[in-house]
Amino acid sequence: MSGQGEWAQKRLPAAGVAVGVILIAGPFLATVVRSLLVWRDDSPHLSLGNFANLFGDARFVSAATNTLVAGVCTTFFSLILGFSLAFLVCRTDMPGRRWLETANLVPFFLSPYVGAISWIYLLAPHGGLLPALVRTHLGISLEWLNIYSVPGVIFVLTLFYTPYVYLFVTPPLREMDASFEDAARVHGASFWYTTRHITLPLVMPAMLSAGLIVFVTSAGLFDVPLALAAPRGIRFMPTEIFAMVQYPSDLGKAAAFGMVVLTVTVMLTLWQRKFLAGRRFDTITGKGYRPRTIKLRLPTKIAALTLEAIYVGGGVVLPLFVLLLVSFSKLWTGRFLWRTATTGNYEYILTKYDLTRTAIANSLFLAVTGATIGVGLAVLQGYYLTRGNPKRRALMETLLSLPLGIPGIILGLGFLIMALHTPLYSTLTIILIAYIARFQPFATRNVTAMFMAINPELEQSARASGATWKQTMRHIVLPLLKPSLIASWLMLFVIFIRELGATILLYAQGTETISVAMVVLSERSSGYVAALAVVQLILLLVAFIAFQITRTPISQRST
Amino acid sequence: MSSVRVQGLTKRFGNHAAVFEVSFDVPTGGTIALLGPSGCGKTTILRCLAGLETPDFGVIDIDGEPVFDHAKGIDLAPERRGLGIVFQSYAVWPHMTVAENVAFPLKVRGMGAAERKDRAARMLELVGLKGFEDRSATLVSGGQQQRIALARALVHEPRLVLFDEALSNLDTRLRQQMRMELRMLQERLGFTAVYVTHDQAEAFGLADTVILMNNGAIEITGPSREVFLHPRSAFAARFFGMNVLEGRLLESQSDPRYLEAELSPRLIVRGVAAPEQDLQPNGRVLACIRKDAVHVFRPERPEDATGTIVAASFLGAEEEYLVEVAGVRIQTIGAAVGLQKGDAVCVTMAADEWVFVR
Ligand SMILES: Nc1ncnc2c1ncn2[C@@H]1O[C@H](COP(=O)(O)OP(=O)(O)OP(=O)(O)O)[C@@H](O)[C@H]1O
Ligand SMILES: [Mg+2]
Repeated sequence: MSGQGEWAQKRLPAAGVAVGVILIAGPFLATVVRSLLVWRDDSPHLSLGNFANLFGDARFVSAATNTLVAGVCTTFFSLILGFSLAFLVCRTDMPGRRWLETANLVPFFLSPYVGAISWIYLLAPHGGLLPALVRTHLGISLEWLNIYSVPGVIFVLTLFYTPYVYLFVTPPLREMDASFEDAARVHGASFWYTTRHITLPLVMPAMLSAGLIVFVTSAGLFDVPLALAAPRGIRFMPTEIFAMVQYPSDLGKAAAFGMVVLTVTVMLTLWQRKFLAGRRFDTITGKGYRPRTIKLRLPTKIAALTLEAIYVGGGVVLPLFVLLLVSFSKLWTGRFLWRTATTGNYEYILTKYDLTRTAIANSLFLAVTGATIGVGLAVLQGYYLTRGNPKRRALMETLLSLPLGIPGIILGLGFLIMALHTPLYSTLTIILIAYIARFQPFATRNVTAMFMAINPELEQSARASGATWKQTMRHIVLPLLKPSLIASWLMLFVIFIRELGATILLYAQGTETISVAMVVLSERSSGYVAALAVVQLILLLVAFIAFQITRTPISQRST
Repeated sequence: MSSVRVQGLTKRFGNHAAVFEVSFDVPTGGTIALLGPSGCGKTTILRCLAGLETPDFGVIDIDGEPVFDHAKGIDLAPERRGLGIVFQSYAVWPHMTVAENVAFPLKVRGMGAAERKDRAARMLELVGLKGFEDRSATLVSGGQQQRIALARALVHEPRLVLFDEALSNLDTRLRQQMRMELRMLQERLGFTAVYVTHDQAEAFGLADTVILMNNGAIEITGPSREVFLHPRSAFAARFFGMNVLEGRLLESQSDPRYLEAELSPRLIVRGVAAPEQDLQPNGRVLACIRKDAVHVFRPERPEDATGTIVAASFLGAEEEYLVEVAGVRIQTIGAAVGLQKGDAVCVTMAADEWVFVR
């Protein structure tokens, strides 16, 4: 009996880690191998031809340039905006900050693809809601504001990536030992000087971590360039890889492109782990006052609220508003007419149209199954990473966290290459596997952090009182992990419901998801797309509300 | 001329008055310690002095200049009060070198780089950190961080330096060493100092004057020695670790120099009243005695024994006993003589050592 417990304790976590490693190694190796193969006379040859082909292509250069420019700009603006919003919410008496603290996070849960199409409805040169309104009421032309452009991509990406920075800098801003700042003030520094020379440098490690993640993930995001750049032939890395896989496909070249991206992201991720890990400051000392809140004067208060209004308005309110308008319009022409308002779009996609009905069912299936498997794996991996073989832990942690930086479309490509000519090809299963491979590490990271917070003595006392490993897990560890498991499950659910980049290369007829259905329908009817987007939004908001209810708000934790 | 003058200082958090109508003066070049149990409001007073907390009422003058006056609406920002401060957590900025930390007060005052460097180096030498200038502030030990924080608080020659539990995070030996060094540094540089501590040894070791705080208000103020030797309240006696025993004051005294109190039907002790006590004959009285003023030893003949050891705990150089005398339990501390639980002992307590308070 105890022998069996020992066995489970040793094998199960290791098996969880092994699955994780295979899920990342498989597509990685497939991409490497495929990028080095060139078909001549119907047989594969080892060659660097794909790379030569890629680097000689002017489209590659323009895609890489645009992606880099957009990534850097998005990172820059997200850092400024994220820090400002976090500072306002954590450190000032801005009115409504309790409420805004949550509102600032909402874009994190929304779909960037839906965000991008909402902004098309809002700002398209022809048929955009805002230009039409401004023209009729103010007589100013907004035609020059072209959402189909690199700045348009940067704008929408910034709206969606600001919460990442916000989430990273809120804890250090809020929990930093106040005496760091107090000492500066007493020794003669003004508030602004202190903020610039003490506060900002102290949150810089968090800012750099956030910045790197924003850069890597925003540059790899397929959704926004697909909606805003592809229609005007502006090339981005993810859309270009997508194009290479379409007929007439050149998988070798796509794999070579994938290799370039993989090399860059893996190197950046490793650099971040090595470099930033050593630079993290210990700013939370045991005994310390929490930072004081700053009283804003009226002009600053107005400026702060304006910034919040622009962000929450641009990231949440306006997109939701326009989506609702479009989804109830028979034909969207940039203005909403009550006369022609209809619920027909909803009826059609929910009851009549097979594609959308299948897509909704598929998305729900993928999200529920994927989140459940993902959290299960996360528990095993988290156990291994905190209590397993100490010699292998660090390496495994690095390996398992690699997918976090890898663009979904690149992982999708890897799985496509692997699954081609196998029964898995064009099944929901391969999509599910890709989802877990790409996003499950988020759950592992959450759960690992929670494992670290659980004193091993709690388990040891259970074992000492006669419980087996399995009983200890069931009665001690899992109940303690519960908040983190719920949060991780909801997070994976949200990600899977809106996922597009990894799905787009793997779906087939009958395995479409909600996001894929929106892409497919986007050329037919904006009403259907908007209605579908609203359905997706409702699913996401339900998860968001559940998330808010089950977690302790940051503000309550700090008291 | 006094360097610090605090009058009627009151600070509330919600409904709870963390500090209530506190007034005290510190002469220029003087040292004062705010002493008291956890949560009694010491840190709050210090933060009010520094301008990090806005009091609800009262006046604070520093060097004759009002920095806070509720009635007149004066409230100077912390950076305009010209102070130095050392926190318990040291608050040494981890993103700067040791020298940058120390030179910070000079930098914000617009001093040139060369002079700044020079002054910081001299200050570091003074606190025994010569040659540490270019180290990262995260790579030094706790004791060294404490010295950095000290150098930083003194480098701009502030008129007043505040210390909040500045030595509490150090281990016992380092704490004793730093206490001596700090005292010498203060005498040499002559700055006015306000120390906040919950440790009596620290308060007595560092300050000429001690303010004992109780629940937001001042319990006693006085020169260190006096406050310790003549506690004026049961709170003070308990805080300083004395025996505090309930009894009844007797009417008749056999010796006019002393009062007598009955602690139990068979135990009557002689002592003196603490200053400013309103003791009623036959009334309730609290008799206080320091633990080390109670002596226990093995009697030469068993029938001479007056008490019994109830508990003994060995502390190293000393030993602590709980001894029962005529039905009253008294704690003693003294050289370790190896008495055991149950031993019959002689107990002596000098009449001069008993202090009676209400
Ligand atoms: N920012 C604050 N908000 C609410 N209550 C506070 C705040 N700061 C202090 N208090 C309360 O005021 C009282 C006095 O606190 P203070 O920190 O001055 O005590 P202290 O004497 O320094 O104690 P310690 O020895 O534990 O440091 C305490 O009851 C504390 O809980
Ligand atoms: Mg304190």
